[in-house]
Amino acid sequence: MSFEPKILGIACNWCTYTGADLAGTTRLQYPQNTRVVRVMCSSRINPSFIFRAFQLGADGVLVGGCHPGDCHYNTGNLYARRRLAVTKKILEFSGMEPGRFRVEWISASEGNKFAEVVREFTEQIRNLGPQTKFKIEK
Amino acid sequence: MATSFKQIEENLKNEARKLLEEGKVSLVLAYGRGYDEDHPVPFVARVVADVENMVFNEYCTANMARYLVRYPRGTKMAIAVKPADSRAVVQLIQEDKIKREDVILLGIPVIGMKNSKTGEVIDSKTTCGMYNPVLYDVLLGEEIHGQTVVSPYDVLAEYEAMDKDARFAFWKKEFDKCIRCYACRKACPMCYCDPCFIDQNKPKWGDKSPQPHGNLMYHLTRFHHLAGRCIDCGECSRACPVDIPLYLFHKKVAKECEEMFGQAAGKSIQDKPVLVNFRVDDSDKILE
Repeated sequence: MSFEPKILGIACNWCTYTGADLAGTTRLQYPQNTRVVRVMCSSRINPSFIFRAFQLGADGVLVGGCHPGDCHYNTGNLYARRRLAVTKKILEFSGMEPGRFRVEWISASEGNKFAEVVREFTEQIRNLGPQTKFKIEK
Repeated sequence: MATSFKQIEENLKNEARKLLEEGKVSLVLAYGRGYDEDHPVPFVARVVADVENMVFNEYCTANMARYLVRYPRGTKMAIAVKPADSRAVVQLIQEDKIKREDVILLGIPVIGMKNSKTGEVIDSKTTCGMYNPVLYDVLLGEEIHGQTVVSPYDVLAEYEAMDKDARFAFWKKEFDKCIRCYACRKACPMCYCDPCFIDQNKPKWGDKSPQPHGNLMYHLTRFHHLAGRCIDCGECSRACPVDIPLYLFHKKVAKECEEMFGQAAGKSIQDKPVLVNFRVDDSDKILE
């Protein structure tokens, strides 16, 4: 059987999640490998969520937030940007493939961009293959 | 010429005695004799008579800033600080854990400290490699100048050049050794959360038994929590009973933070810690 990636998508309620909704209502086609979890803001994301997702078997993690400056809470994604940048560096130095974690700014009106990013990211993870480094062996 | 350890000990005792006699502080955080000369222990002097039991020698590596957060806010304290320890105090002031006016820093310029476990001289390989405290009220020895300055991040080159799979294998081997004694957490001046995320049951972030996956979760999250705050004293690695080179990862995160945000931890009390701060013009490139 061919490898189907399992991707955790964490989307901010005000932009990326609404963007995903728009992609759905405009009937855009994109791979169904991403399981989207809604959070109120990208700065709600605890970096441990990402480590934990990899441990529980996610092959990739995609984080979506409002464009910097457009945050519903004014500054949330500006904090998130710094924090997630550090998360990325930590994953990289621990030996994880850096391509498995991605942060994208997708606004509520960018249904097309959402579909495009998910399509691209799924393809990227498919090429990287299953994630075994962090995964807890049963 | 650096002041001798014997002379520093004498100055430290005099200064501590003076402060306690005048009632300026209620306690002095310094070092006391352990089971022998080479193993000094953290020591708290509360009355003048305690001062006689203080020591200072090349094995006094413990970071006493760790003990500042233990006492109620407003306690007047004096603390013996080596260069890295003074950065820890600065960082604690930045984070508003202590007030600048509550603490008197007895600065100690040091060179040639030794690891009491291995007897090796401690240099910029495992610590920040500084010789003079960044903040002090009283200096207990002459400032050290004219030493060759080595970047504390030089030691990373070897590990950054590694292939990612080899690096993962390296860290897996190291983390699998961990027995989860939490000595790193206990020794760290910046680890003051109560409860620590790993001690929480709801949500349970990671396994508490020394299993590989729980160890990975504990260490990676701890590195993240110390991002932009670690002052590179190297005490976590010296405290570690199974010799995990934690300092390497802390150095790497500190280096990246310095490159991305242009600010090293614990250099000035006017700074804000990098992860509770932001600039509107931070580049999106840092996420790539």
